[in-house]
Amino acid sequence: MVKSEKAIERVEPAPPMAWAVAVAAWFVPGLGHALLNRWVRAALMGGAVWLSFILGMLMGGHLFSLSSSQGSSALLQVPPMIANLGAGSPYIICWLLDKGFADDLVQAARATYEYGNTFLLIAGLLNYLTMLDAFDIAAGRKP
Amino acid sequence: MRHFLVMTVFAALASVVFGAVAKDTPRERCFYGLKVFAEFMLIGLVLGWILYFIP
Repeated sequence: MVKSEKAIERVEPAPPMAWAVAVAAWFVPGLGHALLNRWVRAALMGGAVWLSFILGMLMGGHLFSLSSSQGSSALLQVPPMIANLGAGSPYIICWLLDKGFADDLVQAARATYEYGNTFLLIAGLLNYLTMLDAFDIAAGRKP
Repeated sequence: MRHFLVMTVFAALASVVFGAVAKDTPRERCFYGLKVFAEFMLIGLVLGWILYFIP
C-alpha cells in the first residue's frame, strides 16, 4: 500500500455536529469555539474578526456584493464579495441595513477608505480560518 | 488615524488568528503569533521604503 492510500484511509467523515459548529462559527464569529468551550480561542479569534470588521466599517470601507447593473464587470465583485461574506452575520446585517454597500464618492475620498476595505476583507478571511479551526476541533482532527 | 498605527492593528489582528490556528502548544502558538506579527511589520516597512523611492 502506498503512502497516499494510507493517508486516505485515515480520514474519517466528520460528524454532523462538526458541520453545525462550522456554520455557527461562520455565522457569528467566535460562536463555534464558544460552543466547544474553547473560550480563550473564541475571545481571541472571534474578537479579532469582530474588531477587524468594526474598524473596517468605522474607516469607511466598502462591502462588495453582486450587482447586475455593472454588466460583465460584476464578475470582478465576486472574489471580494466571497471574502466579505466570510464575516457571516455582520455582513448580512449590513446588507439588510444597506450599510457600506453604496458607491459613495465622498466615502471613497476618505483617507482611510482603502484601509477600511482591507480590514473588511481580512475580517471575512480570518473568519474562514476561525470556522475551519472550529470544524477541525469539533471533528476531533485537532486537539 | 496614522498609517503606521493602522498597519500595526492589522498585523496584530491577523497574527492573533494565525497564531491561534497554527502549532500545537500554547507556547509555540505564542511564538508563532509574535513571529507573524514581526514579519508583517518588517515586510510592511521594507515595502514602504521601496515604494517611497519609486516615483
